[in-house]
Amino acid sequence: MRLDRERCQGHGRCYVLASGVFESDDDGRGMVIAETVPLVYQESARLGSDNCPEDAITVIDD
Amino acid sequence: MATNADDTGPKSENGFDMGDPELNRHPQPGYRMLRDSGPVVRVAGVIPSRASADAHLVGRHADVVTVLRNPDVFSSRFDAVHIGQVRPLIPLQIDPPDHAKYRKLLDPLFAPRRIALLEDRTRALVSDLVEAVADDSGCNFHAAVSEPLPSTVFLELLGLPVSRAAEFIALKDGIIRPSAPTPEERSSMVDDAGARIYAVLQEVLDERLETRQEDFISDFLDAEVDGERLTPEEVIDICYLFFLAGLDTVTASLDCMMARLALHPAERRRLADDPSVIPHAVEEMLRWETPVTAVVRVTTQDTELSGCPIAADEVVSVMLGSANTDERAWDEAASVDIDRRVNKHLAFGGGVHRCLGSHLARMELRVVLEEWHSRIPEYRVPEGVELDYSPSLRQIADLPLVW
Ligand code: HEM
Ligand code: SF4
Repeated sequence: MRLDRERCQGHGRCYVLASGVFESDDDGRGMVIAETVPLVYQESARLGSDNCPEDAITVIDD
Repeated sequence: MATNADDTGPKSENGFDMGDPELNRHPQPGYRMLRDSGPVVRVAGVIPSRASADAHLVGRHADVVTVLRNPDVFSSRFDAVHIGQVRPLIPLQIDPPDHAKYRKLLDPLFAPRRIALLEDRTRALVSDLVEAVADDSGCNFHAAVSEPLPSTVFLELLGLPVSRAAEFIALKDGIIRPSAPTPEERSSMVDDAGARIYAVLQEVLDERLETRQEDFISDFLDAEVDGERLTPEEVIDICYLFFLAGLDTVTASLDCMMARLALHPAERRRLADDPSVIPHAVEEMLRWETPVTAVVRVTTQDTELSGCPIAADEVVSVMLGSANTDERAWDEAASVDIDRRVNKHLAFGGGVHRCLGSHLARMELRVVLEEWHSRIPEYRVPEGVELDYSPSLRQIADLPLVW
């Protein structure tokens, strides 16, 4: 999973809705906790990505 | 193709009809007509203060996103809106790259971590306001809660005397809804109110230059961006914007939400029965109601949107409410689902100017809905009352609720 820090504008939707996968930095921008998302969190990761108004989060399946 | 709107009647500065109370009450069908008429709809002659007086309304989600994400073409510079300012408001009217330096300073102050520290104080304030009316059988929600709450939270935060709240509210109303018959008189009212806001801020700033306190104005005076201090003028230009951005918007959102819930008992009950729904309901009502209906940009060059040409130096009204209800972008765009889980609405704007106060606003909205419904779960709008919403910033000055 990737979070594009250039696109992120700190709406905070990702880390509020999926706190197991994303966290906030001091400015309120999103960060991914781990690039490879554990299976139990995959749905959360997608929820965060689907709710990002800046389309900054990409979930890549392998 | 750009379409010319040929309907007559009063228009707001962003070109959307403001004479029709029904449109202000239920703007969604109007947004739909806008989207269906084309990606860019030109409304002639609505901004008399400009050489090119037309507004270009952009209503489809994809185009709205394009405008918000391309500040180099769609600029937020000084002349995009007239709200009594004599210098560009910071950071609203600053374009990149300078914009980023101010946001670097301001973002941490408004980040969720900092805002969380204000929640207890906010809850106590809300609880007092709700308690004050709970034993009555009704109130005007606007006057009882939506107006006093954000002003108090905000004045405390900024370090302005809360005892002067009424005066500050009157000043920002003088700017946002000047009540005078002619455009010239309205414009001079706005300038007068603006001058008085500058004077009040200067007064407080002078005090803080002498003695710092625990407040934002003091923080700003000591803050550094790229090793440089803010000038007193910059501090004032930031605070001036806060005045206009932080008070009315939360008030309008609270009005819209409580009106919605009062008129839709099933949604109200669901939320009163299960407060864990409140955060999702807040997002969905922000989407559907979009209390701040539009933002404004000016083109820096000849450009186009979805094939529609727009010349340089033209005003573009970015219709957030329309983007938020665009069936091209949303599943079930026209139905309100307070449990909606995928909701990337643009009620706080988007791109670099994403609302700085969004985390503060979300906290205030959630806390009000929580406290109100735990104390007054059953309420309604009295029989036969039609609510009137103000245009652009959708407040309901008279919002009677009974229980
Ligand atoms: C529900 C309440 C609110 C709504 C709907 C709202 C909406 C918006 C919108 C749509 C913008 C984007 C403007 C643009 O792109 O031109 C914005 C910007 C801004 N808002 Fe809010 N706002 C709210 C509350 C607040 C609060 C409480 C503050 C407190 C300080 C605030 C401060 C700001 C500032 C400073 C900007 C300019 C950001 C920039 O240009 O970088 N807002 N707001
Ligand atoms: S939701 Fe998107 S814009 Fe918001 S913090 Fe997360 S990544 Fe950034």
